[in-house]
Amino acid sequence: MMARAIHRCLGLIAIAALAACTAQPPVATPAPEGTVASPGAPPDAINIPVEYYKLDNGLKVVLSRDATAPTVTVGVYYHIGFRIEPRGRTGFAHLFEHLMFQGSGNLGKMEFIRLVEGNGGVLNGSTRFDYTNYYQIVPAHVLETVLWAEADRMKALAITQANLENQQGVVKNEVRDNVMNQPYGGFPWLTMPQVANTNWYNAHNFYGDLADLDAATLEDAKSFFDTYYAPNNAVLVVAGDFDPAAARAAIARYFAAIPARTQPARPDLAEPVQQSEKRDSYVDRLAPRPALALAWQAPPRNTPEHFAFSLLDTILLQGQDSRLWQKLVQERGYSNAVGGGSNLLGNEFTYDGPMLWMLYLVHDPDATPEAIIADVDAEIARLQAEPPTAEELVRALTKLRASLYDLAGSSTRFGLVDLLACFALFDDDPSRINRLEADFRAVSPELIRDVARTYLTPARRTVQVVEPGRAGAPETPGGSP
Amino acid sequence: MKRLAVLAAVLAAAGAAAAEREVPPAPGTPHEFRLPAKETLHLDNGLSATFIDYGSVPKVTLLAVVRTGNIDEGDDTWLPDVAVEMMKEGTTTRSAFDIAKEAAGMGGALGLNVGAEQTTAGLSVLSDHAVGAVRLLADVLQNPRFPESELPRVLANFERSLAVARSDPLSLADEALAKLVYGDHPFGRMLPKVGQLAAYDIAKLRDFYDRNFGARRTHIYVAGRYNREALEAALRGAFQDWRAGPAATDLPAKPAEALQLALVDSPGASQSSVRMAVPVPDPVHALYFQTTLMNSLLGGTFGSRITSNIREDKGYSYSPDSSVNARRGGALWVMSAEVTAEHTAAAITEIYKEIERLQREAPTDAELTPVKNYRAGVFVISNSSPNGVLGQLAFMELHGLPDDYLTNWVANIQAVTPAQVSEMARQFIRPERMTVVVAGDLAKIGASVKALPQFAEARMP
Repeated sequence: MMARAIHRCLGLIAIAALAACTAQPPVATPAPEGTVASPGAPPDAINIPVEYYKLDNGLKVVLSRDATAPTVTVGVYYHIGFRIEPRGRTGFAHLFEHLMFQGSGNLGKMEFIRLVEGNGGVLNGSTRFDYTNYYQIVPAHVLETVLWAEADRMKALAITQANLENQQGVVKNEVRDNVMNQPYGGFPWLTMPQVANTNWYNAHNFYGDLADLDAATLEDAKSFFDTYYAPNNAVLVVAGDFDPAAARAAIARYFAAIPARTQPARPDLAEPVQQSEKRDSYVDRLAPRPALALAWQAPPRNTPEHFAFSLLDTILLQGQDSRLWQKLVQERGYSNAVGGGSNLLGNEFTYDGPMLWMLYLVHDPDATPEAIIADVDAEIARLQAEPPTAEELVRALTKLRASLYDLAGSSTRFGLVDLLACFALFDDDPSRINRLEADFRAVSPELIRDVARTYLTPARRTVQVVEPGRAGAPETPGGSP
Repeated sequence: MKRLAVLAAVLAAAGAAAAEREVPPAPGTPHEFRLPAKETLHLDNGLSATFIDYGSVPKVTLLAVVRTGNIDEGDDTWLPDVAVEMMKEGTTTRSAFDIAKEAAGMGGALGLNVGAEQTTAGLSVLSDHAVGAVRLLADVLQNPRFPESELPRVLANFERSLAVARSDPLSLADEALAKLVYGDHPFGRMLPKVGQLAAYDIAKLRDFYDRNFGARRTHIYVAGRYNREALEAALRGAFQDWRAGPAATDLPAKPAEALQLALVDSPGASQSSVRMAVPVPDPVHALYFQTTLMNSLLGGTFGSRITSNIREDKGYSYSPDSSVNARRGGALWVMSAEVTAEHTAAAITEIYKEIERLQREAPTDAELTPVKNYRAGVFVISNSSPNGVLGQLAFMELHGLPDDYLTNWVANIQAVTPAQVSEMARQFIRPERMTVVVAGDLAKIGASVKALPQFAEARMP
């Protein structure tokens, strides 16, 4: 979660809201003007190149070549996120992410960063529910240098007590930046799981209690590294402009000798099906207006219901044409926007465990949570009574197709690398990316209605209310109690 | 367009490796980078359109850049923001829902965004729908309905956003900085006064639109994959009858150049927001490249001196950053950091130390060359997408920069010497001309900040 550094690096691009960084791999040719996609006839399948193999030590490797721009994106994803960090050490997975920039066998503090930036690249890392990732985008000719450096820190961590203490200070400032010192900090991505979930793994403070962050030791770091930062618990993704044979050779040269380590059994992450509605509220000392979030337990990943639920999400909540936007924003005027979705720190594929579907908005005090919830309920009831129209479904599939092209065409390729890594790490099948559209097209309108009936019930819902606070009140780390 | 080689030079590991350590493999030969071709046409009513053919994904981005923004608001802070938001509320033939549905049906979403000097309207759609997207964009720009019925809701949304901004310590620091730096210029008023928004009625919004929108101020950028002939015909058909409208406003802002310090109280804050700003050469100035490179080395990158110091050495801050913010007729160097409350004065002292060190002695080649490589690399990344290129072109248009601004960009960065970097810090990053804002819990930090020697002569407004 050092995301600001990347935005800063690419600041020139951000001239307009929609001008994110999107671009160009070899995918499909544009259809001639005037042709219109019809729901019956699926268009040509999106075909992202995917080469997948494993080294003898268990390291998964995904190569996706696209020479449109002379750059290459490298991502190393470890199958350890904040969800299963040690008890009594909340926030440790994220603190450890910072430590991975502090020194390895052949690179001292700041040297990894200087090596990448000094060769024309940008880099960052982030910690999510079920993975921690490290990624860089560099000029194509720097690929081997970066592979060497990533292998160096997979091989051996070399940090000192001073480095640890320094990063404890940095991370505590990160929590203050993103949670404590801004209105609605952590709402609802950090605050809601703590009340909606019951299993500690899904329900603790992922950013970390400041006391837990302070308690972390070098011994903790060593043990965490030895356990989870093993090649057989990781995937390496290389996407962009590279020579496949040379890349394979370099990957073997630098990564093959790193020994595999036995992985502990993964803890039981199961969340029991919620039996009755939960209500929570807390005071945010900086918030000038109330806010409301609703969360429901989403269907298990990769089931037909999961794909149906993604389309339900698009139809109900994604974009200004969605039903809830039209009702809550356009018609009722509760807020200038309603946000939400499955996995606010990624998307519906980039996690590996139970997940909440959320929606949230900041509103004025004259609108009560009950009134807003009644409007949400009415829209859900409408979808539970009648499947979506053919027109809505076509629009949802069109949006999906456009977003897949955006992934494939991005000049940073971060979204593409994210999906390839998660499909390799969690499903052992990165080429799934090319079947996504077919999986979505296989969903019937009736199944969307049925998942609305099964999953979007009041009993499975958690309501969280943010009450406006008074400036000067004590700060609340992690937002919710 | 001219071919460019990326001169990302060969470089051993930063910091000479100790003898027994393994050395990173040296980078290979840089691949060639070619800027995407572009072509511009002008319609009789003054509208310009630029076509950029790039990428292989069947998507196309349309972005209309209109030369208006907060610079044209006069005393009516956020009037352009309200007017442009209301343009999304419907045209003479489309409702807000129609607009949203139509854009989504093409695989896109209409975005309207007000900036200081440029306002953009655009969407990115599947290539099949390029013509439909042109027509939608043309309708939104040319035929806004400004429906009275939607105004109370839209104004309530802005009031809510204003309340949130007023309770956010970071935006209060930014507001105080803008006020001190730009004074009575519209750029000096970041947030409206209490009660001000309520006065923006339909007549006022329509008047703003009439005075500031039109073909002469508009440049449409098309980037991605598309059928050029069909798209050009659609564009001419949809825009050729738009009224020419006014020429762009010429109201350059003159940033303050005197030492001033403002303290903003945020009781109970565990962090302080530090802002330091000083005028630097703008993009048309010969020293612009040297200044931006100086900034990258001083505070503009992860590996920069200030970040190394107050983040990686001291742990005072998570994301300190300095940047060069270009405005027509003037640019501003801005240093921003959110720092632990108890280290506020210490962090400011360290920032000054880094500025003074750079002024005193030139960096070594070993330090500067990687910074140049970084800038050259980011240049390639930034220009490796249709949207990145159109962003650059819109920037060049605003500042009146010639084509060779882009083609010579990498060479200009590579030509800067260590002595010049130090000279830029001496000439422009002058503490005695700096505007400084510190927002935080003043009961805890106020006295120690005021006591810093750098502020002994500061005007405290």
